[in-house]
Amino acid sequence: MVGEEEKRGEIVVNEVNFVRKCIGVDSSQDDLWGKLICTNFKVSFVTHNSLPQQNFRYVHRLLGEHDVPLACVEQVVTVNDAKGKQKVLGSNQKLKFNPTELILYCKDLRILRFRFDQAGPEGAKKVCLAIAHYSQPADPQLLFGFEYAGSRYYNSSGERVNGVDPGGGQQTALFDRPSDWDREIKRTGASEWRVCSVNEGYVVSPSLPEYFVVPASLADQDLKQYACSFTGQRIPLWCWNHPNGSALVRMSSISDPQQQRKLDQRICTAITKSHPQRSDVLKSDLDKQLPNIQEVQAALLKLRQACVIEPFEESEEKWLSSLEASRWMDYVRAFLKHAVEVVYSLEGKHTSVILLEEEDRDLSCVVACLVQLMLDPHCRSLLGFQALVQKEWVMAGHRFLDRCNHLKKNDKEESPLFLLFLDCVWQLLNQYPSAFEFSETYLTVLSDSMWVPVFSTFLFNCPKQRADYSRDFARSRSIPLGDQALRFPPVWDWSQQFSPKDQTLFNNPLYVGKSATCVQNGAVKSFKRTKKSYSSTLRGLPPALRNGQLLSEVDTLPRRNSLVLRLRPELGGGAREPCESPCERFMRERFSRPAEPQGTLLPQLLPSHLALWRLYFLRWVPEARIPRGGPPAAYHKLSLLVDEIHTLQSRLRNYSSGPHNATSSPSALTSTPSSRRPPPVPAPAPAPAPSPILALVPAPKPPQRPQSLSQPDQQQQHQGRMYFRVSSLALPGSGSGSGSGSGTPDYLSSSFPFSPVGNLCRRGLLGTPLSKLLSGARIWLSTETLANETL
Amino acid sequence: MSTHVHRLPLSPCGSCASHFLCVRVCVCLSVLCMCVGLDLQDRNVSLLLHTLTSLPFLSLPLSLSPSPLLQFHLNSSTNTTPLSLSLSVSFSLSLCLCFRFCPLALTHAAVQDSCDGGQGSQYDSDSELHSHAQVFGHQPVVQMDEVPLVPGETIKATANNVMYICPFSGALNGKLTVTDYKLYFVSLEREPYFLLDVNLGAISRLETISVQSNGENTCGIEIVCKDMRSPRFAYKKEDQSNMEVMEMLTKHAFPLSHGLSLFAFQYKEEYPVDGWKVYDAVAEYKRQGLPNESWTISKLNSSYEVCDTYPALLVIPSNITEDEIRRVASFRAKHRIPVLSWIHPETQATIVRCSQPLVGPSDRRCKEDERYLQTIMDANAQSHKLTIFDARQSSVADTNKAKDGGYESENFYPNVELNFLEIPNIHVMRESLRKLKEVVYPTIDDQRWLSAIDGTHWLEYIRLLLAGAVRVADKLESGKTSVVVHCSDGWDRTAQLTSLAMLMLDSHYRTLRGFQVLLEKEWISFGHKFASRVGHGDENHANSERSPLFVQFIDCVWQMMRQFPAAFEFNELFLIAILDHLYSCLFGTFLYSSEKERVEQEVQSKTVSLWSYINSQAEDFSNPFYVDYQHQVLYPLASVRHLELWVSYYVRWNPRMRPQVPVHQNLKELLFLRAELQRKVEELQREVSSSHSLSSSSDHNSSSPSHGGTPLHTSA
Repeated sequence: MVGEEEKRGEIVVNEVNFVRKCIGVDSSQDDLWGKLICTNFKVSFVTHNSLPQQNFRYVHRLLGEHDVPLACVEQVVTVNDAKGKQKVLGSNQKLKFNPTELILYCKDLRILRFRFDQAGPEGAKKVCLAIAHYSQPADPQLLFGFEYAGSRYYNSSGERVNGVDPGGGQQTALFDRPSDWDREIKRTGASEWRVCSVNEGYVVSPSLPEYFVVPASLADQDLKQYACSFTGQRIPLWCWNHPNGSALVRMSSISDPQQQRKLDQRICTAITKSHPQRSDVLKSDLDKQLPNIQEVQAALLKLRQACVIEPFEESEEKWLSSLEASRWMDYVRAFLKHAVEVVYSLEGKHTSVILLEEEDRDLSCVVACLVQLMLDPHCRSLLGFQALVQKEWVMAGHRFLDRCNHLKKNDKEESPLFLLFLDCVWQLLNQYPSAFEFSETYLTVLSDSMWVPVFSTFLFNCPKQRADYSRDFARSRSIPLGDQALRFPPVWDWSQQFSPKDQTLFNNPLYVGKSATCVQNGAVKSFKRTKKSYSSTLRGLPPALRNGQLLSEVDTLPRRNSLVLRLRPELGGGAREPCESPCERFMRERFSRPAEPQGTLLPQLLPSHLALWRLYFLRWVPEARIPRGGPPAAYHKLSLLVDEIHTLQSRLRNYSSGPHNATSSPSALTSTPSSRRPPPVPAPAPAPAPSPILALVPAPKPPQRPQSLSQPDQQQQHQGRMYFRVSSLALPGSGSGSGSGSGTPDYLSSSFPFSPVGNLCRRGLLGTPLSKLLSGARIWLSTETLANETL
Repeated sequence: MSTHVHRLPLSPCGSCASHFLCVRVCVCLSVLCMCVGLDLQDRNVSLLLHTLTSLPFLSLPLSLSPSPLLQFHLNSSTNTTPLSLSLSVSFSLSLCLCFRFCPLALTHAAVQDSCDGGQGSQYDSDSELHSHAQVFGHQPVVQMDEVPLVPGETIKATANNVMYICPFSGALNGKLTVTDYKLYFVSLEREPYFLLDVNLGAISRLETISVQSNGENTCGIEIVCKDMRSPRFAYKKEDQSNMEVMEMLTKHAFPLSHGLSLFAFQYKEEYPVDGWKVYDAVAEYKRQGLPNESWTISKLNSSYEVCDTYPALLVIPSNITEDEIRRVASFRAKHRIPVLSWIHPETQATIVRCSQPLVGPSDRRCKEDERYLQTIMDANAQSHKLTIFDARQSSVADTNKAKDGGYESENFYPNVELNFLEIPNIHVMRESLRKLKEVVYPTIDDQRWLSAIDGTHWLEYIRLLLAGAVRVADKLESGKTSVVVHCSDGWDRTAQLTSLAMLMLDSHYRTLRGFQVLLEKEWISFGHKFASRVGHGDENHANSERSPLFVQFIDCVWQMMRQFPAAFEFNELFLIAILDHLYSCLFGTFLYSSEKERVEQEVQSKTVSLWSYINSQAEDFSNPFYVDYQHQVLYPLASVRHLELWVSYYVRWNPRMRPQVPVHQNLKELLFLRAELQRKVEELQREVSSSHSLSSSSDHNSSSPSHGGTPLHTSA
């Protein structure tokens, strides 16, 4: 274990033994004893005790279950009970008392508490100081990612291509080379746009990628000339093309007021020229209509206060109000709404849209991504989504280093925009559960990965900075420079963090199952009620029922059908509300049709339809955990079902190929007597993907490279798309009684696959906050006052 | 002919074995479903195909309307005619669509069927499609603005020129019809046609409103409903038919106040299942293992003499004499003595319900009552304690004590522990729901939504109830201690708490039938005063006896369903249907306040049970996720953090809402796919084994069909 850690460049800085990790606040009965270690990467707690009632673990390859990466530590608080002292520790600060307690507030909303009653006071102090010091590195190169990348270089044994495991994240387009952009242009049919390489070597703009896409009518020479008038020399960037030819473009403000008009005109003209209908360009000023980054940060702090810091019971009564007061949901709605307006322009009005933002590096990232998610089903696949983030965040120069505040230098620059974006995606996923290939677990894990500072994705402010820092670091370590020298893995290389088995938790069974449906019949089927129920319905049904709720429920859209009949007509034609904007009208008309998971997805923007992302915000709160309940219970059932469907499909293939001694070729099949089979399956199974990640590709995608894996492997991978398997009895938690087979496994809870056990809490009884009802005790100890002071 | 394979699993025409043509045009927030089967001659096939191919023309009206789900489904045995064609059309009442179809003879039938619902065609649902075709073939096309009627329903008045003031899209002129069951408004002004109907039973009050700008002699009326909406109409006074409609509306909305009977007594529908047979008290107690040595099923109350709001059969401790019972009865409010509701199959701990003891300010005692509770305690060998949960706020309980009510004193009842659950009374709940209606109807304030919900305290009360029920359940399950639950009279909060606790403890109540039994038992037979809480047929809307306690209970059940998506056999629709018929007065299930009254009114013989309807199409109300968590206690998390406003019930009238594509629908598709795959696997298996013995035996072994591998409920 230690060897493994050393191998990746990890060094123990300080450690202290006989530390108690507090599990429950009202009693120390469940507390764990162990060693607290500070390394240059993480705070680690090594214990030989096991947590109570925990028989499932989502294993992180870089972090143990009690570990926190230093980059994830938001605040280090030391307390001395006896003297009644407490101090928030900064870097290089002195501590005048011996701490009896250490509390770590983490950026992923965990709160960890350690007690040093039995530990040597000096040792405890040293570890606390070390944690404080190392969690606030003075220099970006002290971030663990550099050591990690360096050690990867030294330990590379040749099996890597471009520094990334083959088949790992490599399948995700990184947009760091012209070919990725070319493919994107082709995919979206943006024929009037071209890849431009004026910024090669970052000579024009420091924050733009080396390659990006511009209107075909603009020459490199012009672009270079225009560049200096834009903030950050950022030439407007093409994001995406609608099938109707309308383009989505992002642009920073024009800093030179004299040039403003002229330049504006030229850009617009060029974009118009690139539109097949030469239609106008609409400019959408994000700064004016959306909250700024500080507001978003303030909202998260308030929301965090409400979710994890306020004492659970006492804040129950004002919970909704404090949610509202945080304004987080408002902001989520604002971004979604803005994206919908852009969607309307692109799709409803057929105009190209320019997203205008002062620096074009923050709000535009969110909006550009959301627009594409709503309009382009490709972006809802796992690889498509990853490419989207790569394109609109990483390459477009979102300042991840500053916004994550990895160096803890400037709190004003810190802002959880990416989390806000993921929350917006979650809202879409929540409203359209079968439209996305990934699950909410994936989104949560992705947000957590921001605090594992080894990924190129979240470490830098822009591609240039990454290149510069890598070069400097390589020099200092005498790593030969060159293209292949020092490469940080992108977060998309999920094998860095999780086993292939655990990665299957990213898969959304509804989507995967749907693609199976498509494959089977060439078109998505609908489920129809039986004839019998039609007639019995018709006969006796009171009109109120017929109008709605009852009947149609089973048909296409079971919920709220009453509305459909009685109120939907009010939406159709005729006189309209005078105040209705064209965009609202567009939405209304869209909503009067059923959603097609592969079509345009417009979110419901009523406040009643936006929900709190409970998995993310409440997963560490033990009192908020529903044992065996919550959405994971449904996820479990669906996974089993989809797994069974896959098994049946592969069995079917075996059968069909068996008698004919051939792999499924269309003609062979249709000519057989048993030709009641549908036109054969184009993609997924007979030629499974060569890698675990590629196995996640939705069915219709043809494999792009020859497979190198043997047949059994392919089978296994194909069948392993679901975490929960019908046949597999060896689930991680199957040691417990009802772990597998029928029923829900014990370890399932609303927090799954995370577990709040081990996070600071007052113990609940049976997961129900009975503690208050039973004892009336109000216990949050010193953390409560601390929290108020320190935030 | 295309050879695309697509088969519906249960469709009667699905037995046809060769080629299928299936075109699916799914565009729909479907509302009405029907299945029409026709025999067509060859030439008609071409006509049909023409229609199929020209379906895109549908997009014109569809884009404006709640559009249909059309599923064409053509089977032909190869090269033989006549073709058996089955056409399943599920479509909304969006009338324009029907007209679009009119060129096709098929749709006459469809149209007829859609609007003629229950009147004519009493065809057998099991019969072959062909017979349907005949039935329909001779039916005339019915005008689309005709009012669909349920059996037994009659039109009372019609006014052709009434204006509906839509809160969302302005005014609409149309025809307003009042029957003895519903109000039905059709406007042909817009495309698609606009429909609104309201069950008269759902009307709470009719209020005259001022309608400015519509000229003099125009009256306005607001129909305030119990189900969270308040449609408004305007009409001219001088038109006689308008006045007549309004008069009829007033009369039939509140039949009891006008000397009429409730519509349930006119409703003549016949269902294949008799819902009145769902609940049999003896059978239910037998299921619980009763009677046993400590508890007996007593017929003491068979003529409702001991307590007129209790059912005829009561489970009481076996060694209590009739005399003692009478004394206990006189010491309990409304004579509602402690009786057993549920017994734990292992520990024998029981849930006992009753009303408050009549302690009064002078601390009266009743030896028999004390001994009675002692007996209840003794019946459970696992614990030497008894826990009383008084649902009320302790301050209110004290007030009650001053008014001759009260609560058990721990001094006089040894080993008894008394807890107050601090749940506010029915008036507070009524006020809370009233506020909630203001928040959700007609419009929603985007900015203040959450705090507005907070302001209604509705979710907070839900939380209190759930938390209370969790305490009750936990006391039984973990504490192995018997529990007595009461409030003041023991028919409101007591029913909420005991039934919720039973739902948590006993998986049987989480099935479709079991839940019906739970309602029949804990609510209906034990005298929750539905008549006064809902105010069926009564115009006195200000009556302080009204309160949405049952709605609140169903909301709690919904919250539990949200938290445990696989633990309930029924779905959200089932709960909504129950609430709609709580008000509708279509079924007899929720009428009257006690078993005694129901027997007197002969409800069972003169009305239809809601469960007849539900159980005749149980599939519609079942949850595809359901897995029987047998003997598993569910503890919902009683925290506002996990409670949600039941948007699809309370906010369903808001047109800005769009039904989401529910997971259940997707799941059903997957279940269907699985069934189909299983069938194919078997088929191929048979084929393979019959044609030639399988070469690779290992392959054969591994592929034995695996039915029910997934513990998922396949609705059969």
